[in-house]
Amino acid sequence: MSLDNLRTLYQQVILEHYKKPRHRGRTQPVDRQQRGHNPSCGDTIDLTVALGTNEQGETIIQDIQFEGEGCAIAMASADLMADALRGQPVSRALQMVEQFQAMMKGQFEFPREFRKLNVMQGVAQFPVRIKCATLTWHTLRAALQQDPTSVNGFVSNEEEE
Amino acid sequence: MTIAPSCSLADLCRADFPILARQVHDRPLIYFDNAATSQKPLAVLNTLEDYYRRYNANVHRGVHTLSAEATTAYEGAREKVARFVNATHSEEIIYTRNASEAINLVAYSWGMNTLREGDEIILTVMEHHSNLIPWQFVAQKTGARLKFVELTPEQTFDLNHYESLLSDRTRLVAVAHVSNTLGCLNPIPEIVRLAHAKGAWVLVDACQSVPHLPIDVQQLGCDWLVASGHKMCAPTGIGFLWGRGELLRQMPPFLGGGEMIADVFLDHATYADIPHKFEAGTPAIAEAIALGAAVDYLSQWGMERIHAYEQELTAYLFERLQALPEVTVYGPKSGDRAALASFTVGEVHPHDLSTILDQSGIAIRAGHHCTQPLHRHLGVQSTARASLYFYNTRAEIDQFIAALGEAIAFFSDVFA
Ligand SMILES: Cc1ncc(COP(=O)(O)O)c(C=O)c1O
Repeated sequence: MSLDNLRTLYQQVILEHYKKPRHRGRTQPVDRQQRGHNPSCGDTIDLTVALGTNEQGETIIQDIQFEGEGCAIAMASADLMADALRGQPVSRALQMVEQFQAMMKGQFEFPREFRKLNVMQGVAQFPVRIKCATLTWHTLRAALQQDPTSVNGFVSNEEEE
Repeated sequence: MTIAPSCSLADLCRADFPILARQVHDRPLIYFDNAATSQKPLAVLNTLEDYYRRYNANVHRGVHTLSAEATTAYEGAREKVARFVNATHSEEIIYTRNASEAINLVAYSWGMNTLREGDEIILTVMEHHSNLIPWQFVAQKTGARLKFVELTPEQTFDLNHYESLLSDRTRLVAVAHVSNTLGCLNPIPEIVRLAHAKGAWVLVDACQSVPHLPIDVQQLGCDWLVASGHKMCAPTGIGFLWGRGELLRQMPPFLGGGEMIADVFLDHATYADIPHKFEAGTPAIAEAIALGAAVDYLSQWGMERIHAYEQELTAYLFERLQALPEVTVYGPKSGDRAALASFTVGEVHPHDLSTILDQSGIAIRAGHHCTQPLHRHLGVQSTARASLYFYNTRAEIDQFIAALGEAIAFFSDVFA
């Protein structure tokens, strides 16, 4: 088996986040919540978000937690995302959704501040696994863009190439 | 453990499948995803090419030589399929795109027009989505109710539960012959006998049995049976519905268009007899002819022999899988069962497992295999599935087990 290939996908950091997630659960309070679903494999992620305001008066993400079931890539991606986005303005988080997708196409690398997310770069070499990595980001975007008073369904990332 | 014969069926037939010689990630391909689709022998590939090179023409629409040749081959393949499943008349074979379309044909033509509020349809919790969603449509439209047979503790069809669901309101029983996830072989003759005693019809989804076992629709006793060509060495885009002639004749057409008519006026039409009544428009001609070639190819080895060899492989696969303490296998562990194993491996997600095995050139399926309700019933989100065909070997099983062991080791470092 070509272990080298596998090590680029399953970086130690990814495996650690899969094994010992730091952000599993539900936020207190739940300002946004969204279920993400990958219909082809049945993986699900339930994201909850607690919002706040920073000194500049921007809406920020106080906390993100996730529940659900999925592969190592999907679960580690959710945990890494939650790590990276705590304290970030919502507008910045939405920008990072796009940047993460660009990274999956090999077209972006996160700057120092968010460099831990770059461990996901290896996924770009496994095209069929990209939607595992992006599920949590799609779900987050839907959570942040939703009308908080609406009844929410779930988002699916099946259209992702 | 059985002793491998000196020359197995796979040894004899492997050279007929060019794709099996390819490499994946610099390793010889081990194709264990046959329940999703099978590989194609040269006999089938050559038939497709021969049609397009020598006699490509529309069927039933011309008097010229090419059209006559194409029509003869197209109808000849229908006779081969009829003989393959022991239908009494070849017009009882309706070509469809696949099994899903065949089930939809029955659901729309028969179900939508016949069922009423209060009628009941019995399915099982193990059905493929293809034998579930069309009946959900029928239920939503007609008010008929769906009921589901559950599993025995051995994860097979629960005949007692089935009997308790049957009633005078039961109009249809639609059930897989072999489950594509559990691999269990369902007792169709018994299911049919009990259904017919209540006046209900029976549709058998034979997608996972026609490619692997001798099938005799008369012995099974059912009223409709469906299968997909692509799982039995034929190309994609062709499948079939077998139905009892008198029943098919009573059913209204499903799709309208050319080919399915007798006499057409501006405001109405009369329809052709079966099978053409159900074959609107230009069909998948090359694929149908190639399905005939696939049936010839399988018959050349003999379905008894294919089944016997696969039983031997299955016993070995289960023996090896069950020797791994981290592995949980679903479905019946012994008895007459299909050559497939759905399993989970401790904390390793099936997707990750499949990616790791792919690096060793091994193709398995990971996910819910289009049986989401069954997975929910089993209490798992997804499983990995290794599914074999008669061209697979014990040596491939050994390599698969070795790669599985490496994958387990790779992840056990993490969970240590
Ligand atoms: C038991 C069963 N039923 C139905 C189907 C659907 O077959 P198809 O997708 O060719 O219509 C499959 C294959 O995926 C199957 O295994």
